[in-house]
Amino acid sequence: MQNAKDTFYEVLRSRLVALNPERTIVLRGVVRPGVVVEENELLSSAALPDCFRLRWSVAQVDADGTMPLATLVCSVDYETAGTGMNGGMDRGRALAAMDAELQGAVNALPRNVLKTNYSGLANGTAALAMNTRAWWSEVAFGATITKDDRLARTATVQLMSYQEAGEL
Amino acid sequence: MGELLQSSDGAIRLADAVMRSAGGRMVWLRLAAPAVQNADAEQLGLATPAYQDVALGPATFHKANSVIKLLISASAVHEVLGSLGFDSADVLFETAVGLFIDDLLYKITNSYSSQAMGMPYCYWLTLEPPVR
Repeated sequence: MQNAKDTFYEVLRSRLVALNPERTIVLRGVVRPGVVVEENELLSSAALPDCFRLRWSVAQVDADGTMPLATLVCSVDYETAGTGMNGGMDRGRALAAMDAELQGAVNALPRNVLKTNYSGLANGTAALAMNTRAWWSEVAFGATITKDDRLARTATVQLMSYQEAGEL
Repeated sequence: MGELLQSSDGAIRLADAVMRSAGGRMVWLRLAAPAVQNADAEQLGLATPAYQDVALGPATFHKANSVIKLLISASAVHEVLGSLGFDSADVLFETAVGLFIDDLLYKITNSYSSQAMGMPYCYWLTLEPPVR
């Protein structure tokens, strides 16, 4: 499942960067695209505004077929207070812009990609292409939530992939 | 004493003296080193960042009910702000991984300052002990 999660993050990040290269965040002193996987970051980055925060929730494995089919639910949390110069009066528009970016990135075709094993990056070797693909559903948007001066939303995407032999 | 409190610097020195006489001790603030630009390994959780421990003191515990609070000298915090280039103490404590005290890493859940003439003379940190 880890390879599918990593591959989906890489695809989503590159698509979001292509749609809006100006959506960036500063995390631990470095400017990077405004999308993070919460479980890969320090706890202090938990409530970053104006960026997409990916959280993996439900995991299911169907072992009936020739290969186990893994299904994961990816929750994408995002929130914005709008622009400070506008006194936050554009926060609705800012949230709508984030909705559009996420929809554009997730729903763009193809909604599948060859799975990649990135574990080699830990010791300086290249990522390896695998034999099967990962694919995902269209994005489903949750209700708008007001959090003090911010508007927030959680969207969900279902990610599926076959588990290859020896895969984590 | 009255003259000492005439300036905010005096309030800092007075707070330091009180904390030292009350058994003030050193604690270590754990900070994550800056990330590596465009490093997929870090963004995918494959690489552990390097850490830096910074000494802060004098500091004294204040325990009321079940909440653990730590009182830290503003002079020590301001020294760290200057040397590491942080914008404010809030940013410093928000981005810190935690506080090392007697080999235990406490999570910082809240921070605020006590002020004299608009200048902080000590910082209060609310801490959460590690789950065992």
